[in-house]
Order: sequence, then C-alpha cells, then structure tokens
Amino acid sequence: MKYAQLIRLLVNRELTLRYKRSVIGIGWTLLNPMITSFVLWVIFSFVFASRLPGTQQYAPYLMAGILLMTFFSQGVTISAESIASNGPVLTKIYVPPQVFPISTALAGLVNFFIGMIPLSIVCLISGQSIAWTMPLVFTVGICLALLTAGIGMTLSILYIRFDDMRNIVNVLLMILMYFTPVFYPVTILSPKLQQIIQFNPLTSYLDIFRWAFSNNATATLSDWLFMIFTSILSITLGTIVFKKFWPRTVAML
Amino acid sequence: MAVIEVKNVNLTYRVLKNRTGSIKELFRDSVKGRIRILDYVALHNVSFSVDAGEVVAIIGRNGAGKSTLLKILAGVLPPTKGTSKVYGKIAPMIELGAGFHPEMTGAENVLFYSALMGRDVKRVKERTAAIGEWAGVTDHMDFPLRTYSSGMSARLSFATATDEQAEVLLVDEVLSVGDLDFRAKSRDRMNSLISSGAAVVLVSHDMVAVCELATRAIWLENGHVKMIGNPAEVVAAYEAH
Repeated sequence: MKYAQLIRLLVNRELTLRYKRSVIGIGWTLLNPMITSFVLWVIFSFVFASRLPGTQQYAPYLMAGILLMTFFSQGVTISAESIASNGPVLTKIYVPPQVFPISTALAGLVNFFIGMIPLSIVCLISGQSIAWTMPLVFTVGICLALLTAGIGMTLSILYIRFDDMRNIVNVLLMILMYFTPVFYPVTILSPKLQQIIQFNPLTSYLDIFRWAFSNNATATLSDWLFMIFTSILSITLGTIVFKKFWPRTVAML
Repeated sequence: MAVIEVKNVNLTYRVLKNRTGSIKELFRDSVKGRIRILDYVALHNVSFSVDAGEVVAIIGRNGAGKSTLLKILAGVLPPTKGTSKVYGKIAPMIELGAGFHPEMTGAENVLFYSALMGRDVKRVKERTAAIGEWAGVTDHMDFPLRTYSSGMSARLSFATATDEQAEVLLVDEVLSVGDLDFRAKSRDRMNSLISSGAAVVLVSHDMVAVCELATRAIWLENGHVKMIGNPAEVVAAYEAH
C-alpha cells in the first residue's frame, strides 16, 4: 500500500513526539501505568484483593485493567481529534484521512505492548508466572486497535461537526471506565449489575487479556466471540460512516 | 495532451444560518424551526483543461473561488457536481509547510512532507541532504523546525515539494519565497520543471507575475468563469473592471 510508509512515520511521530522534550522520553510509557497502578493498588488492595477468587492476584489484575483502559480511552480521544488537528494538511494535500485515526490506534497498540514489560514484572513479583497462552494477547491488542480505530473514525467526523462532542465523549469514557472491571472484581457487584457489566465489550477484552497473560481471570468462548464481533463491527461501521460523511465534512475543516 | 480536465464543476458549501456547532443549540433551533440551511455556491459551472507544459493563472477578487478551485484540483475537496480529473502526480504548493511539524527536525520534516505527498520514503531519504543543501539549511537539518526562521522553513518546504518531477504543480502565492537569491533560484527550478513537461496552475494577485509567467489566465468572479484567454488581455479586462 502506497500509504504504509506514511502510517509508519505517523506511528513513529505519535510515539516519540509526546515525550520529545522530556528527559526520559519514551520511558514515560513504562512509568505512567506503573505509577497509576501503584497509587490505585495502595488504596484499593485492602478492599478488593481478598475478593478475587482462587490464585488470582490483585496487583497484576489492576495493572492489566489500567493498561487496557488507557489504550482504549487514549486511543479514542486522540484518534477522534486527529482529523481536526490535521485539518491544515488535509485541506491542502490529498491524503486518505483515515490514515490519521489508524496510526493513532497503532501507536496505542505499540504502547500497549510496551506496557506489558512492567506488567510481567508485577506478575512475577506477585508470584504468578506468565501463562503459555500469552501470545494470545496479540489478538486482544489487534481487536482493541480495530475497535479504537473504528470508534475514533466515527467520532472524528462528529468532532468536526459538533464542538460539544469532546465533552460528551470525555464524560462517556469516564462512565465506561466505572462500568468496566478495571480496579474491582466483578463478583463484588449485585447479580443485576454483573449482567449489565457483561454487556460492556471491554469486559470481555479485559477478561481475555488477563486470562491469556497470566491466567488471572476466566475467559469464556462467548467473551472471544463478543470481542471479535465488536471489533469487526466497529471498524466496519467506522469505515462506512467515514465514507458517507467525509466529502461534506471536509468542507467544514 | 491534457493533464487537467475540469468539466462543469459546481461546489456548494452548505452553511447553517446562525451556525452554532453545539448540539444543544442545534436542538433548540431545530425545535423552534429556526434552522436555515443556506447553499453557498463557491463555484458555478467551471470548465477548463490544462495541457502539459502550460502555466495557467487563476485571478480574481478575494472570495471569488480561487482557493476552492485549487482544493478541488488537489483532490482534497470533492466537487458537488461535475468532474475534475488530474492525470499524473500532483505537487501541491498551496500553503508551503502545511505538513511541517515544529518539534520534528528539518530532515524528519522533509521525509514526512514527502510521505504526505505520496512519495517513496526510501528514495527521499537518499535525497534529504541534497534537498537541505538546495534550500540552504544544511547546517540546520538536525535541529527542530521551531528553531528555523520562517524564510528557512519556507525554503525547505519549497525544495521538498519541487524535488521530484510532478505532472501538475498547484501554486498558491508561493513564488515570493525567501530572499532575492532564492527567488531567482526557485524561479529557475519552476521553469525547468515546466520545460520538462509539468503543467502549472497558479493563483496570484501579482498581476505582473501573472503576465510574465502564465500562458493562459482564468478570471473567476463569484464562482463563475468570467474570462479565459491570453494573460495580458484577461489581466487588462480584470483591472479595468
């Protein structure tokens, strides 16, 4: 593909530019989830650690949740903004606009994989070993990248048309974060709430991720189907929405 | 041989009267029936073609649709009606440095800008030093672009955009880049690109330059083509208007 090189440069830029002027540079990608996880661990481990079933450990449970949630919410917000912020380019040079949200999702994927280094360390410290199913986390990463890119593409159109979308998305992401078992075990919730949480696709992604990485959760076949279904649905819808509305939206940039 | 064919192109911007951009207000206004969609016609039935080696100047007042027409030629804006076809590679010099990022180095920006124009990154990588040298910024290629003066960055972007032979050059008031030396140099390069077969479409308010450079001129007035023909005649008619 002609624009594969451009996507590579964009991913590279996304990964390095944010930390360009900082001293430890991309080290922040490692440090950020560690610090967040540590703080939440200090606060919540007393409450939730004992509620996890069997051999599951709270520290890796929490950190896996934070890694995945960061990937998703950062990916969605940045890729939704990517079209508007690259408007000056898009109105002068013909570039397929989809490359921007796609690159953002891919950069998020790389960060996600980098984040697994500290996650492995936390796993080992808390006495777990990396499961043999570990390579399956690549499937989770790719599905999540597709989900993020699809949602980002749809939102990027809406961002240009309605200024309020940014605020709405921020609130929705916060709500979604609480409706995803990031820092609490699902079992602490009432049966009714548990059912609702199962409708959140991210719950499935997270269960599979935790299970595959260090056998720290249970993942069912329906989780797998739900994950694959939602990722394909999202990227398909995103592409269709983009194709349909882009010609009129570009005139608004 | 025509490298650009524009046939009956219409472009309408849909403008919401009292456009708000907020969903709440949009809802309120639509409930009260206060939404009016205006169709703003930026281009009306524009047709022309450009042959290889031709230099076509587009002149007209501010808001006549010149930039919109360039955007359509660049393929950025799809026409509402009609067709616009460009055969071959386009070097868009619509706003030099549109793809530049202040935090990236000169060399990185050259690569990035070329990739945006759909060029082969590997080939550009080998050319980076030569591009920097031609722009006269060799010593600065490894520094971030924010440390460049605006002239330096414009020169670098001109050098990048014109480094590969393109079939079509789209130029929006960029002939006045840099100091006198560089202006002469860039004019030479434009001429050599034209003589090796590139077609140029340029938008300018500099009537002297238009008469000097162009082989044909198009006068746009409120989105309509008012006159096409010999640059001296079109410019004379435009100035008399």
